[in-house]
Amino acid sequence: MRLEEHVAFSGKLSRLYELAKKGEIPTTLQGSHTRPCKFWTAMKILSGVHNTIVIAHGPSGCAYGVKQTYKLTNCRNSASPYEAVLSTNIEEKNIVYGGEKELVGAIREVEEKYTPDIIVIATSCATGIIGDNVNDIIETIGETIKAEILVIHCEGFSGEYRSGFDLVFKELVKLMEPPTEELKNELHHSVNIVGGKMGAERSEVDTDVKELMRLVEGMGAKINAVIAGDCSLEELKRAPSAAVNCALCLDIGYAVGKEMEKVYKTPLNSTILPYGISATRNWLEKAAAYMGLEKEAEELMNQEYEVIREEFESAKANLAGKIGLIEGHDAVKSLSIAHMLEKDFQMRPIIYNFHPWSTEARETSIDYLLEMGMDPEVLITKGTLAFGKYESMKQTEDELLAFLGNIDPETVVYFGSSLSFPNIPLVDLNAILNRPRFGYRGALKVAKCINKSFTYAFRPRSKLMKELVFPKDKSLSSLSSLPSKLSQDMPDCTLYGKGGRRRCINS
Amino acid sequence: MHQQLVFAHNQYSKDPILSCALEGVANVIAGIQDVCLIIHSPQGCAATVGVGFDQHEIDFTKRKIGCTRLFETDIVMGAARKLEEVMKQAEKSFGAKVMFVAGTCAADIIGEDIEAVCRMLQPEMEAKLIPISAGGFRGNSYDGMNLGLEALLPFVKKTPIKMMDTVNIIAPQANANPTWYADLDWVKQILAQLDIGVQTIFSHDTTLAEIENAGRAAANLLMSHEVGYDFAKKMKEIYDIPLIMEDNPMPIGVHNTKKWLRALGAHFRKEEQIEKIILAEEKKLLDVLRKRGLMMIPRYRNCKLALSSDSTIGIGMIRMLFEELEMIPEAIIFKSCNEKAEQLLERELSDMNLSPTIVLNADGYQLKETIRQMDVDLVIGSAWEKYMAEELGIQVSFDVFEPTNRVTYVNEPYFGFEGMLQILQIFANDWERAFRSKEIKYKECN
Repeated sequence: MRLEEHVAFSGKLSRLYELAKKGEIPTTLQGSHTRPCKFWTAMKILSGVHNTIVIAHGPSGCAYGVKQTYKLTNCRNSASPYEAVLSTNIEEKNIVYGGEKELVGAIREVEEKYTPDIIVIATSCATGIIGDNVNDIIETIGETIKAEILVIHCEGFSGEYRSGFDLVFKELVKLMEPPTEELKNELHHSVNIVGGKMGAERSEVDTDVKELMRLVEGMGAKINAVIAGDCSLEELKRAPSAAVNCALCLDIGYAVGKEMEKVYKTPLNSTILPYGISATRNWLEKAAAYMGLEKEAEELMNQEYEVIREEFESAKANLAGKIGLIEGHDAVKSLSIAHMLEKDFQMRPIIYNFHPWSTEARETSIDYLLEMGMDPEVLITKGTLAFGKYESMKQTEDELLAFLGNIDPETVVYFGSSLSFPNIPLVDLNAILNRPRFGYRGALKVAKCINKSFTYAFRPRSKLMKELVFPKDKSLSSLSSLPSKLSQDMPDCTLYGKGGRRRCINS
Repeated sequence: MHQQLVFAHNQYSKDPILSCALEGVANVIAGIQDVCLIIHSPQGCAATVGVGFDQHEIDFTKRKIGCTRLFETDIVMGAARKLEEVMKQAEKSFGAKVMFVAGTCAADIIGEDIEAVCRMLQPEMEAKLIPISAGGFRGNSYDGMNLGLEALLPFVKKTPIKMMDTVNIIAPQANANPTWYADLDWVKQILAQLDIGVQTIFSHDTTLAEIENAGRAAANLLMSHEVGYDFAKKMKEIYDIPLIMEDNPMPIGVHNTKKWLRALGAHFRKEEQIEKIILAEEKKLLDVLRKRGLMMIPRYRNCKLALSSDSTIGIGMIRMLFEELEMIPEAIIFKSCNEKAEQLLERELSDMNLSPTIVLNADGYQLKETIRQMDVDLVIGSAWEKYMAEELGIQVSFDVFEPTNRVTYVNEPYFGFEGMLQILQIFANDWERAFRSKEIKYKECN
């Protein structure tokens, strides 16, 4: 295979960004590359607010899908109790006559049955199109309901998947209360971590957010809330009085942070995902500055570094000058890993198959990286832009191998899914045992993972495992899309669904 | 007769434990070989369709799904062109023999004429195009399966030829067993032992040719109480194929397995062979339980339980729990139960002189409230019920139904004598786990 025939784009990130803005490279996702819709992403954020009942105003399938995906996963992994997701169960007759009566009835019933702090009315495609006037209904009956009511217009067709996150984050700000001097004094050493989603952190896993919380507390500060990872209405109300909002990254949490900044003047600390020491320092220093805890933060960072210094320096020594090829279909993560490889390890990052669609969705992160003077190389092969089927995945795998050619496996490491099989060392940062990835401990973990993969580069990848992903008997004439069960981890995949997320240990 | 619980404040707000019609339609289509499915919908619906394919474990090398990814302008202006483009791309990429084109909520409501698009494109397409309305508002996933089955009827050719000793199997997938295909295999294996051929399965790994030839079968065998009854009735009307054994509970537990087998033997006049199978299989069951399961007798006797299931597995299981394991089903909760299944349930309960609390077509709220209100020692259900039980302080729950927390690499039938062993094995392990120490007390050790 001649790589040149298969390259859709090769160049700097800034060039790709420019082409995408001018419409000179396709930026739409293929019909086979479906993402969760706006309804699903809105629900993902709402799942992180305690004692909130969502009434999905629509047929049962929308509520059932998110419940099965998010709520059951939270029971399984985060020790959460059973939480209902309600539906007004819109049927054929309601499509004709409307479902307003059903919605009013549902709101009143929910108040009686669950006594929630917040009732969220989430519109679906069906009720959005038939034009049920949800806002009017809430205006009419709102005062008779004790719970706070939020209306989220998140019809699946009304925006790209990302818009659901941003919309809910902005709406949550409406539940907050303006800062008071008294509360500001109480919370002058408190931060909100913004950009959490789905619910509490996994109970049995040392997660990235837990690591950030440990670091914040390590410099003598407190966490007021993780919005909306695991927060209550009370915490949300107090949130504007916290000293600073620390976004998990420039994209996730940016919307709520910017809105709180605009409405309540709560400062926002927003950097790239804190992968590696450089990004972690940046994250902590900025947070500390808003609380007057610079000295404590410096002490903490010194302590943290001292704990890992010997191992980290030794691990790092082997990495300078090597190439890090980073799978690009998780756009924000790939940009953050590129930042870490260059700043922490002095490696040369190349982002592989960053879908041009992501340039719009991840604009903030790209701008930040470019402003920081980083402009990593990007390589996009045609398989990434092909109509999704098993072969496009196989094609991208072949293209990857063609790109690598006879490259010396001692000079390149691939950051991507273990379900990809390049002939070079591979680091899968999504693997559950590779957590936390943030902070100093995370930096050491990553450095050790890279070196471990170089150490065992002599071991060929398992034929058995490879054949599971790339069966021998599948020629280019057998065709398919990817299943939801594997979509999180597959090379070149963007399909999504509940099956995989409820079972995959990487999710 | 049985007790009814009254649930206030539950007329308009449902906490669904079943998906929508789209998932059911996708499930039936996923059971057919060499088809692709194009959904004319916003992108989120693709996840629902994906679940339908997951239920057949269609591996990722064989999936052929496309989505038009409708956005606001499409809703306002219509998106027939977009649909045509995706269909053409799919034809080129997938090369499937049949292309189902499904309209979901959005497309159905704005009135996209999918039939017309299919009609217009058909001359230039190799694949046979089949439009289908699958808007989620058309019902739950079982209703969707019925819609999917109905869409297959026009494919079945009328024929005067009837193959003696052959059956069509209908709706094997409408079953709460997480590896329901093992139940299908068990049925096929029994039929093979009796020299009864399987003409067509509606649907699992089924070819289009098999669907076309379904009219040759001598009988229809329904593997679900939830789905397929109307389809079977139409098969009788149009193709004169009788539905057999419709009043039998599914073959779960000793009594129901024997009853089911004997009914099958009687219909096909294979009584002698059936008795041999029963004799051999029952002996195996008893031998294993005598050696490994003796202690279930004191454990389960008069243990009060809530059973939460679908009616397909649930109706069959009640007798096993009550008469064979000597448990007391205090509450029976079915997430779906049609009129016919309800009649069968009533007959079974009356025959056993059993009067549990019954909640049919339950949603999540009713399910949890029922468990809360009943004084039970254990709950039999899925992962959902396990967490509800835990929260409500019930120490034991048996996680046997979909969605389950168990990982199964080897398929497990629930039907037949072997199926009973599988069920009892899960019960036994979950029981053990509930009463084993969870952690070592380090301090005491020191």
